[in-house]
Amino acid sequence: MMKKKILLASILVLLISGISVWYYVFVYSKNHHREVANEKGITVAAREIVKEFQLNEKTANGKYLNKAVVVTGEVSDIKTDQAGQITVTLKSDDTFSNVFCTLKSGNLKPEIGKTIRVKGICNGFLSDVVLNEAILENTPQ
Amino acid sequence: MKKLVVFCFVTSICISLQAQKIYATKTGQVSFNASSPIEKIAGVNNQVDSKMVDKSGQIVFSILIKSFKFENQLMEDHFNENYLESTKFPKADFKGFITNIGTVDFTKDGKYPITVEGTLTIHGVSQKISSQGTLVMSKGKPAISGVFKIKIKEYGVTGLYIGDKIANEAEITIDCKYE
Repeated sequence: MMKKKILLASILVLLISGISVWYYVFVYSKNHHREVANEKGITVAAREIVKEFQLNEKTANGKYLNKAVVVTGEVSDIKTDQAGQITVTLKSDDTFSNVFCTLKSGNLKPEIGKTIRVKGICNGFLSDVVLNEAILENTPQ
Repeated sequence: MKKLVVFCFVTSICISLQAQKIYATKTGQVSFNASSPIEKIAGVNNQVDSKMVDKSGQIVFSILIKSFKFENQLMEDHFNENYLESTKFPKADFKGFITNIGTVDFTKDGKYPITVEGTLTIHGVSQKISSQGTLVMSKGKPAISGVFKIKIKEYGVTGLYIGDKIANEAEITIDCKYE
């Protein structure tokens, strides 16, 4: 009698854990994506982060890669990418190397010439420092 | 007379130099697909940096691994952490040439078949590759598209599920609109 109960209980536990793993891998992870708004970002000026990457990419990657970053800078360019997402370029001191951000859809549209704060996930450095999944934050005037 | 010849020569060089044009994009699209019959494994990168020179056919693609977005967050995390090791190797790139660039008329709208050859570097490993593709000129702007396959293990990418849940070969799709 006792044995049967233990067996039944262990089957139940196995079943529940199996279902939880399946749910986490195939359902939860599909519907729950990383949300930059919920993360505390590292605050930095556009010109500073570009300088850091130019000076030593490896060190800068160690500091910023895959982290939420809040970058302040002047908007020099606004475009739409091939998937229809809005992209914003924040000016640095170097004409050829800036901060390039792809915004999440449904965001407010920025304006060229204005200084804004963009919070996004730093994906690394090509000719620009690249931010993805970014959102606009209110600038304290 | 001699001066005139030199003058003509120098002017023609200047004209031909001016005529060289570099097309570029920072928002090219590259997709990665290593789906097996068991599971869909596909990511899209919309932050591809690419440049192309019309005269020489030189072409470069620079890619950040972390810019690949997957439908499933867990899959994206595994792709970055366990397979491509994107903290150690944040970038992938391709440097090469369109070998039949002479057959492309950049002044005329149309569809041109192209052959691209060069070196692809993923996960810190470089391999020579060659692929067929298409260059479309539309309103004076070129767009390049193409599909090719790579053997994942040739790039030093190892993992439990390759050849099982993950296909041995990944299909890479390029779709870049230049300005």
